[in-house]
Amino acid sequence: MIIELKDINKSYPGVVPLHVLKDVNLSIEKGELVSIMGASGSGKSTLLNILGILDNYDTGEYRLDGVLIKNLGENRAADLRNYMIGFIFQSFNLINYKNAIENVALPLFYRGVSRKKRNLLAMEQLERMGMSDRATHLPSELSGGQKQRVAIARALITNPSILLADEPTGALDSKTSREVMQVFRDLNSEGRTIVIVTHDPGVGEQTNRIIRISDGRITD
Amino acid sequence: MKNPIFDIENWREIGATLAQNKTRTFMTAFGIFWGTAILALLIGGSEGLKHFMRRNFEGFATNVAVIFPQRTTKSHAGFNKGMRVELNTQDVTNIRRAIPQIENSSAIIFQWANVMYGQKKKNAQLTGVESRYDRIFEPIIFEGRFINEADDANLRKVCVIGKEVAKELFGSDKAVGKEIDINGIYYKVIGVVGQTSVINIGASMDESVFIPSNSMRQSYNLGDKVHNFMMTLKSGYAPRDFEPIVRRLISNNHPIAPDDRGAIFYFDVSEQFKMVDNIFLGISLLAIFVGVGTLLSGVIGVGNIMWIIVRERTHEIGIRRAIGAKPRDIIIQILSESMVLTTIAGIAGIVLAAFILGGAEMMTKPVKFQLTFSQSVEILMTFLLLGTAAGIIPAVKAMKIKPVEALNDK
Repeated sequence: MIIELKDINKSYPGVVPLHVLKDVNLSIEKGELVSIMGASGSGKSTLLNILGILDNYDTGEYRLDGVLIKNLGENRAADLRNYMIGFIFQSFNLINYKNAIENVALPLFYRGVSRKKRNLLAMEQLERMGMSDRATHLPSELSGGQKQRVAIARALITNPSILLADEPTGALDSKTSREVMQVFRDLNSEGRTIVIVTHDPGVGEQTNRIIRISDGRITD
Repeated sequence: MKNPIFDIENWREIGATLAQNKTRTFMTAFGIFWGTAILALLIGGSEGLKHFMRRNFEGFATNVAVIFPQRTTKSHAGFNKGMRVELNTQDVTNIRRAIPQIENSSAIIFQWANVMYGQKKKNAQLTGVESRYDRIFEPIIFEGRFINEADDANLRKVCVIGKEVAKELFGSDKAVGKEIDINGIYYKVIGVVGQTSVINIGASMDESVFIPSNSMRQSYNLGDKVHNFMMTLKSGYAPRDFEPIVRRLISNNHPIAPDDRGAIFYFDVSEQFKMVDNIFLGISLLAIFVGVGTLLSGVIGVGNIMWIIVRERTHEIGIRRAIGAKPRDIIIQILSESMVLTTIAGIAGIVLAAFILGGAEMMTKPVKFQLTFSQSVEILMTFLLLGTAAGIIPAVKAMKIKPVEALNDK
């Protein structure tokens, strides 16, 4: 079991507190390709943020690869994000003044890997994504699909336990979407655990399991 | 372990960020540049001003007392008031015996003299001095030496001439070794001197001729006359403390009323220096006041810009934290950017100030305006320290934003 959520509750404080996740129980096995689907406002992004240790939860227990993720200090959380999680975002979130190889190498910079080794590993990842000829291009010089490949390379470079993708095809046309999904399926067949949050049924269909979330509850 | 200083990517990142927003970088850099330049100019300028003023007193000991006899202002022992007081060698002996705290002293006699060498003539002040005169009123020695103890004790017919006198009599020729006629008596020139300070007692040294006081008294039938008496005190003693004893000694030796203050003028030079010291203090305080203001506004400027930078980069900080940057990594990054900016702009500011001060120095030669290297480094370090401190607040505030919120900040 790589991801295990037990009775997770999360609410945002306010005049009328917003209870976004209600007793969420969820487990994901190693090597699964899962999609979390739901309408906007259903709590799927909050769930992904909790899975990615970007946000905390109020009650319950979340275990990632056996590690209890609760009340972590910022430094510990940063380390876990770096070592265990690879993020892929809808808007790519590449740093716009860094070229492709520098963006891919950045997670290793925070791990203290030497520049030489970083760039070697980053180049390997770019090659896997078929992007080696674009290594020195800035994000503004890349197409949407290319940017997402760079982002995937960046997520993979730390060899994380899970890949978390937040609407990875949301900003791409249908052809590129299919290509990116193919990349995810290939990665899955190599044994990667991948969780994709989406509202696009076409994306959900291509995963092995769909977890539907509605109004803060998992429906099936 | 990673060390951000030795990682070229860290430096490239700083360069890239600074180059990314040229206007912002330029405005901040200009603020720091201007701040350091003003501060450096202020320090250099006030030092220069002090030096300019201090130059007036160079070569003049600061704890000097000069005793000038005047006219009596009270009738005493059968003498009417208004009698001219004349000091004599007995007064000098008495004072020296009574005040062991005297470091250097000299009795002085003046007389106007015609100085001649061949056909050349010059009017000069002839000053009879004792050998220690040059320790009180330090001359610049251009040639030869000053009068020494043996000259005075052996009534030698030797003289030291001022540089203007030497120019008049000898032109560009060597003066030492020549014999000159002073009021009809020949003396051998043993030295040529000039005046360092602007303070004069009588004529300027440049226009004077010095001969041993004993030789002068004997040659010109001056008896035991002394025109005035100069003394410096050993360190730790102030001339003011010895005024009563000097007055008492002189009034005991002459028909002067003990309470006749007008009969003797006791000139305490150190009192004059105290006033000058106060002016210096005022200049320093002004420089500090304006300097602190400049520093403060510079630092607030840096802090302000750092705050804007952090706000603008919240999203980027969110990305970095999502891929594993620790708060410390982000703070180091932000602070090193402000430090690089401060260092470069600060050095530029100091260079500008150095050029301006150099120009001022050229115009006011030989006054020194230039900053020392250590002063420049201190100014730079102060700005660096305060600039960094100002950057810490926004950097720490940036860390308070949760990664999710930072990522959603577009």
